[in-house]
Order: sequence, then structure tokens, then C-alpha cells
Amino acid sequence: MSAPAAVRTLTLKEIGPAQRASRPDEVVIAVSPAFAETFTRTIVDVPHAEVIRQVLAGIEEQGVTARMVKVWDTADLAAIAHTGARLSGSGISIGLLSRGTTMIHQRDLPRLSNLELFPQSPLLDAEVFRRIGSNAAQYAKGESPAPVPTRNDQMARPRWQAKAALLHLKEFECIVAGRRPVEVEPVISRA
Amino acid sequence: MTTTQPRHSRRTEILEDRPVNLDGFVEEWPEKGLVAMESDFDPAPSVRVEDGRIVELDGRARADFDFMDTFIADHAIDVETTEASMAVPSDEIARMLINPTVSRQDVLAVTRGLTPAKILDVVKLMNVVEIMQGMQKMRARRTPANQGHSTSARDNPLQVAVDAAEGALRGFAELETTLGVLRYAPLVAIALQVGAQVGRGGVLTQCALEEATELELGMRGITAYAETISIYGTESVFVDGDDTPWSKSFLASAYASRGIKMRFTSGTGSEVQMGNAEGKSMLYLEIRCVLMAKGAGVQGLQNGSISCIGVPGAMPGGIRAVAAENLVASMVDLECASGNDQSFSHSAMRRTARMMPQLLPGTDFVCSGYSGVPNADNMFAGSNFDTDDYDDWNTIQRDLQVDGGLRHIREDEILQVRNKAARALQALFAELDLPRITDEEVEAATYANGSEDYPERDVLEDLKGAQSVMDRGITGLDLVTALERTGFHDVAENLLTVLRQRVSGDLLQTSAILTHDFVPLSAINDANDYAGPGTGYRLQGERWEQLKKLRHVTSAENPETEVS
Repeated sequence: MSAPAAVRTLTLKEIGPAQRASRPDEVVIAVSPAFAETFTRTIVDVPHAEVIRQVLAGIEEQGVTARMVKVWDTADLAAIAHTGARLSGSGISIGLLSRGTTMIHQRDLPRLSNLELFPQSPLLDAEVFRRIGSNAAQYAKGESPAPVPTRNDQMARPRWQAKAALLHLKEFECIVAGRRPVEVEPVISRA
Repeated sequence: MTTTQPRHSRRTEILEDRPVNLDGFVEEWPEKGLVAMESDFDPAPSVRVEDGRIVELDGRARADFDFMDTFIADHAIDVETTEASMAVPSDEIARMLINPTVSRQDVLAVTRGLTPAKILDVVKLMNVVEIMQGMQKMRARRTPANQGHSTSARDNPLQVAVDAAEGALRGFAELETTLGVLRYAPLVAIALQVGAQVGRGGVLTQCALEEATELELGMRGITAYAETISIYGTESVFVDGDDTPWSKSFLASAYASRGIKMRFTSGTGSEVQMGNAEGKSMLYLEIRCVLMAKGAGVQGLQNGSISCIGVPGAMPGGIRAVAAENLVASMVDLECASGNDQSFSHSAMRRTARMMPQLLPGTDFVCSGYSGVPNADNMFAGSNFDTDDYDDWNTIQRDLQVDGGLRHIREDEILQVRNKAARALQALFAELDLPRITDEEVEAATYANGSEDYPERDVLEDLKGAQSVMDRGITGLDLVTALERTGFHDVAENLLTVLRQRVSGDLLQTSAILTHDFVPLSAINDANDYAGPGTGYRLQGERWEQLKKLRHVTSAENPETEVS
């Protein structure tokens, strides 16, 4: 799984402290501390630029807008996604860890609950990320989309379990305790 | 970004394509606990007792204890003997473990006073052969056994029943199931129990669920034991799961109060997987789990990394550490259900090598468990071995003359028990007014391999039926009655005899299983008496004759035919 020849790179331009929005037609994408900084690709080498490009496309094709925040003080996916949901005008967010693990969350749900969880990061590809964006946007519009089918691969454990543990530890190292969430603008460029 | 690909040799390409290169391997990072068992960050052994209380444990004063330290110091370590035991040099204890002239009891007299760091210090001196030698003597039950999984990708109770029947006939002493859709649990747990008692009376069954439902099914007599009570080696991981050593002990006593066999589950790698290893090696943390289980008073532990096997499996020396954690459970007198129960490697050679340290010396349950269904149907996320491996397993037992708990069974016998299990479940469901099982399904179940070979069931009707089992308060005794009424007298009798065990409490003894004539075999009446060559459990007599049989063996008398 090598990176494609024409690599897009993602930089997150800081705009300022993340604020709660009131517009009801938005989905907040909340990413973890190492996302698009220490790490640039998911556990299976999907570039973060591609992840964000697909998620944004999925949201936009539903006529919904997207806003992106960087969460600094935790690497816990439920906490990241719930932070995003509380900032979101629609109450809907997509939480993303650097290794690719993803969750769709909603403001009124308990933090440890979620609308949809995609725990097996090695099985998430561009198509799944686009469908996740689309589903989140549909929730934001008050619809009840069919959940994105979850995949399962029993041989993911021998191949990826230890690397996932390593990536988790590295993500932890990037936590900045006490730093508030920052609104960022995703800038995708072709290298 | 253009790169020219360097030219590879043909040999590199062939090696690159070998299954082993689909497995993941990672460098050590001891500061974060990403290390199997050799870490400079693990504490040095120490103990200090004042006024009959441990006041220092592995370099930490009582005032600085976390709750694991407190629990282990107060409940797991024998205060009377700890200072004397800790004074025995680690290499001497390691030698006691492998020296056949030192009895198991003599070793236990020392190990019951050891701290986690001291136990680590001992097993770190041992290579895998020495670990196996230790296991051969320290395993609690003299007779080794095996455990199987029976699950269905569609949660089809019929599949679970017939594969349990086949698995029981092949030799599993325990069978467990779990679910994709949790609401299916009551029907699938009933199916497992009935199928197991058709295959071989006395096989014990359990259904892995969230703890409250698992306990309820046990109390009702729908299951016979419990295993999926997870414990962890750091306080932070425990707290993350809203648990403590005391809450787990309380749950354990709930099972004991009803005479239900139970064991805890733990394994190397779980803490670092959750990012809370507190900078300690995987084996050190697992030893804390073993002692916590000991302190809680449970009779046994399922360990051997279990669902985290990909983590130690990716580390240098990781599978040695996994063998060592099994030994540690046995050397503190716990039953050990020794892993080999999760998908581990793309390489058949690696899968086999990984289980040798358990198969060769024998453990209480070599696998915990072996998939008695094709791995595609395994709802424990796949095992290291599945139904496709039955003949390989039997052949390895015959080659090395070791007892891994299974045996070859002729197809006509297998078809007969599968058909009977299907008919028994069909009759039971009809009698209890549960969703119908058709004759077409019974026929399919008799000859099936995996869930796709069965007609699809009406899932919504099944789920309503499952709910009604809970609402109506159906118990194990109701199953006995229904089986008796529908003409399955022998199955009813088998189930009733299993249920009676909870009155005698014999299955609460360490390493207890039931023989085909319902005699409990445990560390009490089948104590491991290994004392060197020619002693202990030997594969011989009638059992060895059984294990000589394979699917294809040329007859010596008439080489133009096969015996089986």
C-alpha cells in the first residue's frame, strides 16, 4: 500500500478558538492532536488529505456545510467527537483519530454513546470516509440514514493490532493538556 | 515525488508474498510498556511485613499503593511466608519449577509468598523449554483438556447446537458461545447447552455476554460456567471500565453462591493496547492480574493474551511471554485456560508454533477455545484454530503422542449426533412454544459446514422468542422437563446431572471438568502428580488407541484398505 504518485497534502490553518455555531445546517469535523501534523496518513496509509477531502465531499453532496476543529487535550475518540458535537450548530459531528478510527456523534447523546462507530481503522478507505460524511450530513438535516455498513476482518488483528497500539501511544504524546479546541481551515494542496 | 523502484531479486519477491509477511511486527518502546517481558522500567522485587501486614511491595510503601497493590498485598500474598519466600534466590525458584524431584506442593509453598516483581524475576530466567517443563508439573489438573467455541455468523441457534454436539463428541470438555446480536443470547445459550449434552453428557457450557445477563443465564441454569470476567493490570484501565478488584470479586462470589464454575480473563497487551500500561512490561502487568485473580478467590484464569494476542505477537519474545503468563497462573495454583483462542497469524507455521508451549506440556485447557465452527462463523472474532484444522490437530497429537483433548471421529457418528442435536432442539423449541425449526433445517444442519449452508431463519421471530425465554423465566430445569416430554430422555438426564453439580459444588474446585460418566475431575481428585519421566499424565491405553485413529490410515493387515 504505497502512497499515490500525485500526493495531496493537508495543512490545518488555525483560525482561532473554536466557537459554538448556531447555523443548523453544519457538521463539525473534530480531529485528534496528531492529525495532519505528527501523522499524515491513517494506519493503512490513506493520506489525511484524502480522508478530509472525502468526508467534506460526502457532507457537501448533501447540501450541508462543514467546519473543522482540532481538539488538543485528549486522544479519546468519544471525547473528541462529543466536543465536536457540542460545538456543532446541528449538534452533529464526525470525530477522527490520526490512525483513521472514526465516530459520528450527536450533542444530546451521552459522551460514551454515539450514532455510528467505525472501530476497525485498517478497514476504512476513501469510499467509507465519503459515506461517513454523507451520513453525518443526513443526520444534521434531521434524517435517519441507514448506517454505513461496518466491515469486519478477523485477520486485521495479527496485522494491525500492535501498530494501532503504537499509534495510540504516539497520539497520546501529542496531547496538549489544557489547550482549548481550535477552529482550523483545511488547506489541501498537491505536492 | 517520483521515485525509481529498486530492482528486487526473485527470491525477495517470493518471500515478500509469504503469509507471514502479512503479519505486523513492531519495535519495542519500553518507556510506554510496549515490551513483552524484559524492561528496565519494571520494579525490583521487595516485600516488608509489619504487624502481620505487608507495608512495602516491590519498592512501593503502603502509603503509595494503588488499588492493585493493596488488593494483592492484602489478599493474594501469604503474609506468613512472604519474607521467607522472597529471600529464596530467583534462580533457585526457577530451578524448583523445572526440577522433577521437587513436588508441585513444594513449589506452591514458595510461590504463595511471592510478589509480582519476584515472579517476573523468576520466569525471566526461563527459556521456552524450561517454561514448558514448569507447566508440565505445575498444571493443576493431571489430565489435560480443551475448550471449543460454537457460534454462528447469523446467530442461528441450530448451527450452534449441532456444532456443539460435534465438538463435544470430538472431545471439548467445555464449550462457549457468544453473539453478533446480543438479544439472541437466550436461544443460542439454550442451543449450546442442548447440543453439548447430545454430543457428550457432562460437557460444560457458557455464553459470553455483558456481565449482568451472563450471570442471570448462569443462575437460571441455562449455562454451566462463566469465563468472560475481564481483569486488568493497572488501576487506570480498571477505572476506565468502571470496575475495581473488589467489584470483580463480588461478581465472582455471586457465581460461587450458586455453585457455578467461573474463572477470570486477562492477558498480556491489554493495558498498553488501551494506552494505560503506566510504563510497565506486558508480563509484569499480567502477573498482577494473575495475583489479583488469586486474591479474589476464583479457581482459575483464562490467560495467554487472549484478544490482544496481536500485541505481544508483534514484539520480540512476545510468544515466550505468553507461555510464561500461562505458567504463572499454574504456578500459583490457578486453573489455566491457556489462550490459542484468537486469530493470531496469516502463517500456518506461526499458528502452530504459537501453541506448542501449551500443547506439549499440556494445560488445563490448551485452547480457550478452539473454534468448533469455521472461523467465518466465529463471533469471538476468529480463533487460532478452527474446524478446517481438526485433522491437522489430530495428526499432530498422533505424531508427538501428546493429548490435546480432541480425537478423530468417523463421519457416520458425527452425522448421527448432529442430526440428533438438531431434532432435540427442534422438539424443545416446539415444546416451549419457541420459533419453529423445520425438517428442512434439521436436514441442512446435519450436513452443514457453515452458517451459509442453513436456510435463513426469521430473525424477528427468533428475537421475540429469545425475549420470551427471559420474560417467562425459563430455567435449566424447564429444558430438562421439555426434553423428557419430547422423548429425549438421555439428553434430559445428561442436562439434569450437569445442573445437579451446582448443589454439590464440586465444579467450584480448581480445574474441574466432568467426565463422560459425570465424575468431576479436578485438582482435588485428579491432582497433577508429575515427578519426572514415567510419571504424571501419560497418553496411553484406551485413550492412546483413540488418538492413533485418523481419517486415512492404511491397514497393516490388509494394505488395500484403510482403517478409521
